[in-house]
Amino acid sequence: MTVSTEVRNRTAGGIGESPVRPDGTFKVTGQFAYSSDLWMDGMLWGATLRSPHPRARITSIDVGPALKLAGVSAVLTHDDVPGEKVYGLEIADQPVLAFDEVRYQGEPVVIVAADHPETARRAAALVVVDYEVVEPVTDPREAVGHPDWKPVHDEPGERTAMSRDRAPVHPHGNIVRHQRIRFGDPDAVTADVVVQGDYEVGMQDQAFLGPESGLAVPADDGGVDLYVATQWLHVDRRQMSGALALPEEKIRLTLAGVGGAFGAREDLSMQVHACMLALRTGRPVKMVYSREESFFGHVHRHPALMRYEHGADRDGRLVYVRAHILLDGGAYTSSTPAVVGNASTLGVGPYDVPNVGMDCWGVYTNNPPCGAMRGFGAVQAAFGYESQMDKLAAAVGLSPVEIRTLNAVSEGSILPTGQRIDSPAPVAELMHRLDAMPLPGSVDQDIRLLPGGVSNTTHGEGVRRGVGYAVGIKNVGFSEGFDDYSTARVRIELVGDEPSVLVHTAAVEVGQGLVTVQAQIARSELGVERVTVAAADTQVGSGGSTSASRQTYVTGGAVRAGCAAVRSSLFERAAARYGPGEFRLVAGKVESLVDGVVGDIASLLLDGPVEHTVQWRHRPTQPLDEATGRGNAHVQWAFCAHRAVVDVDVELGLIRVVELACVQDVGKAMNPDAVLGQIHGGSAQGLGLAVMEEVQVVDGKLRNPSFTDYLMPTIMDMPPMRVEVLELADPHSPYGLRGVGEPPTISSTPAIVAAVRAASGVDLKRVPIRPEHLVAAALCH
Amino acid sequence: MRPFQFVRADDAATAVQTVTANPKAKFLAGGTNLVDLMKLGVERPDLLVDLTRLPFDSVDVEADGTVRIGTNVRNSDLAAHPAVRNGLPLLSQALLAGASGQLRNMATVGGNLLQRTRCVYFQDVTKPCNKRQPGSGCPARQGDHRNLAILGASEACIATHPSDMAVALAALDARVAVSGPDGDRETPLAELHALPGEHPEQETTLRHGELITGIAVPPLAYAERSAYRKVRDRASYAFAVASVAAALDVEDGVVRDVRLAFGAVAPKPWRAHAAEDALRGRPATAASFRAAAEAELAAAEPLRDNAFKVPLITNVVVRTLSDLAGETS
Repeated sequence: MTVSTEVRNRTAGGIGESPVRPDGTFKVTGQFAYSSDLWMDGMLWGATLRSPHPRARITSIDVGPALKLAGVSAVLTHDDVPGEKVYGLEIADQPVLAFDEVRYQGEPVVIVAADHPETARRAAALVVVDYEVVEPVTDPREAVGHPDWKPVHDEPGERTAMSRDRAPVHPHGNIVRHQRIRFGDPDAVTADVVVQGDYEVGMQDQAFLGPESGLAVPADDGGVDLYVATQWLHVDRRQMSGALALPEEKIRLTLAGVGGAFGAREDLSMQVHACMLALRTGRPVKMVYSREESFFGHVHRHPALMRYEHGADRDGRLVYVRAHILLDGGAYTSSTPAVVGNASTLGVGPYDVPNVGMDCWGVYTNNPPCGAMRGFGAVQAAFGYESQMDKLAAAVGLSPVEIRTLNAVSEGSILPTGQRIDSPAPVAELMHRLDAMPLPGSVDQDIRLLPGGVSNTTHGEGVRRGVGYAVGIKNVGFSEGFDDYSTARVRIELVGDEPSVLVHTAAVEVGQGLVTVQAQIARSELGVERVTVAAADTQVGSGGSTSASRQTYVTGGAVRAGCAAVRSSLFERAAARYGPGEFRLVAGKVESLVDGVVGDIASLLLDGPVEHTVQWRHRPTQPLDEATGRGNAHVQWAFCAHRAVVDVDVELGLIRVVELACVQDVGKAMNPDAVLGQIHGGSAQGLGLAVMEEVQVVDGKLRNPSFTDYLMPTIMDMPPMRVEVLELADPHSPYGLRGVGEPPTISSTPAIVAAVRAASGVDLKRVPIRPEHLVAAALCH
Repeated sequence: MRPFQFVRADDAATAVQTVTANPKAKFLAGGTNLVDLMKLGVERPDLLVDLTRLPFDSVDVEADGTVRIGTNVRNSDLAAHPAVRNGLPLLSQALLAGASGQLRNMATVGGNLLQRTRCVYFQDVTKPCNKRQPGSGCPARQGDHRNLAILGASEACIATHPSDMAVALAALDARVAVSGPDGDRETPLAELHALPGEHPEQETTLRHGELITGIAVPPLAYAERSAYRKVRDRASYAFAVASVAAALDVEDGVVRDVRLAFGAVAPKPWRAHAAEDALRGRPATAASFRAAAEAELAAAEPLRDNAFKVPLITNVVVRTLSDLAGETS
């Protein structure tokens, strides 16, 4: 019978299916416990006093008035940091608590523990910090000493006295990283058709809903247990170990419920502070940032200034790209080196370009620190190179689809780093599929679906339709020689006579569905439907970061390898019991490839559980040569393309994105619902950057640290999507899968901007687009 | 937030008396603006007198058509009231264009009229601001002023008034009922808010302890032919970048009468008298509407980053009046 055959050949809830998420119901019914819900009897509350100035010297700190307040247990400054006073993901330069100097508005200076959160906040306000205010460096161009943005042909100017003597944010200067790409002969080559453009990307916030929070509990062994929402438990622990002067084994982290991350939890926030307070007071300490504080408590997306020049032949085939990209990293290093690596290596986009000359800088300023955010480096560059591709198309008389398919990379293409793309790169196919999708109907008459929406600004008058295309490229996993691995412990045993699998990793579920996909892999690999994924903690080896679209690839690979080790042990038991042969495990049964079902998995477990812990790595990568950018720096590339249809009210400068269509190659859709979720969510985040999201920084100070003033798309702003998912397997990755999370964020923004340009005729150079860019430009026409 | 005392008023006289007696006391209604500003340290009251139990919570239509609105009527209730929804569409639309459903359920009429500016320097206690700290200076002229005023501003202050509702009420010649230590009085809404001049800290003509108890909207024969239009940075949940409240009376293609007020372009809800004067007796055409807007904006003093509001508000005026003219013809 078909039904029994189906059951025999498949283990339900395995890869390629979309089983119900274990956290889903709790989240939508409000019962899920987030890190901000943590509670322990007798706990104290922590609060942070932050610098009001973007730059100042600290001349004195008087904690006396705060200590006198009833209910206060501890008031700590940099003098109380037990170990290293600075920490950092790549370079340790960020103070645990400021000493000598503050370098950005919101930098932590003093921490307080008290018996009530309000008492803690009041105590913090009583601390007297004397500052000698210094003029901040807020323009990244000035920070590197060439306030006059150089033409792309010039070598970067010698850093002037400005950057050397007066302005350095750090003693070693203001350049975090300068990466050059020199491919072909970019200086000598000329082209028939040349297009140039300057582009600017504003500072976007990850805007997760769950603020930074956690609970530190002092332990009897002198160590500390921390329950926290983060992205990478082990890298937190490494940095905490230095700051707390404790061996890593005395710091135990357990993942608490994470309310979104998007890169904003990759750096430390309250981790060391809560532990310092807990260790000092001997009591559990909880810290929860307010929404306003959260804007100061995490890094943002790097704002970018870009200057591009594209040269092509008369047919539109690219001859060269020259570009300068300047990324404002703010006060501390954070992930800036990696952001520079991505922006430079991916800076020409998914195109074959024989000659490339690119200079990308990440610089220090006294603006808020910038670091990891979904698609980093690739997001900024894509706005530049895709704007250029449209300009080039117009210059040579091709359509946006034609110019992109003509120049698209494909498997075997050589990237400007000299690295060969050695897996499918269906860029042309993505464009063709987008082009083939039907377009939505004409301008809608439902006022809610017009520009301005319920604001009642138009009934169709002044509204023009535009269509735009964009395609992006993103590296998956950690690049440039980083030892990128994950660890999985897989155990199979009888629980109430039924075989049951426990998967334990330290990989962080941030809402993307990693817990679900780990269980799916275990089901498919071990033929067992009862799979439990243990809470992520540091009792197992590192899972690596939940970033760079890497967890399904790397931790998924580790879980698969762990399952394979367990399976081998089970097959040894099967051979002992049933005689030698080749076996497989399906739907709770042991099958011999010759004899069919020979027994139950349960019977193999009567001898006891089987457990293996494995570490799994993706293939190694190489660092980039600093002068030329040569190197096989990336593990894998992911490609995604968008078509945006917009209606623009050209008189009022209002935009309604009518439809976003998306085609993405995911290699293998491990969980099709989750894939669609990532594509919808990533596209929405790209829409936000295109038309509204910006952390506004003036003179080094945040002007909109609230969800009243930092605007994100609502359901009224996000259109329906058409999505096509391709599954072209990457032979180098587990199951052929490709990272999914970041690519849709990259091409969504430039596609929308292209559509707005098409509708309005305005040469837009900056995101987010605001009404004044359209209305003011319309005036000049 | 600083500690403060909280008392609940049982009658208006006691509320007025309590606040009058304490220079650091404030009235509290829906709290949607005051509480935010207390968190920012901009407002630092010692005592809050809660008004929400006072009986000013009804909407009444009098025999002559005057609509009397109690100060405690919630924005969402007012927007949904039949007399407002049917008779004063511009007011209903303005209310619904403001804030979010949750905020409208809390926000009151009096509180809405008295909400403070969104100017970033006013909200940042570490920065100078003549409104918050008289004489300290105004960084906005040189700094971040994209959202600030093009009309009615002064050297000392270019803040805008953030209300949507008040713009519609300005167009309707609303009057404000006030109860104070010296008894009750009524003042035209046009005289409630003060222009900044050299004293931007004096935002209204209310004296300390005076309490808004309600609004009276006099009848306007053509109020049913009215609209409120608002440009903002996203489709919902955002303050205005520019807005227009308008009512139009057209006969035989000629403007017999018009009411026009602008939002988010001035320190107060901006009644556009010059535009109205320029329009009466003129043909109801886009060209006249544009000329009328330009007449009003002749006095505009745009700055580097808010100059776009001049063409923007002009376009909204033309759009809104053309639409109303179409409806009436």
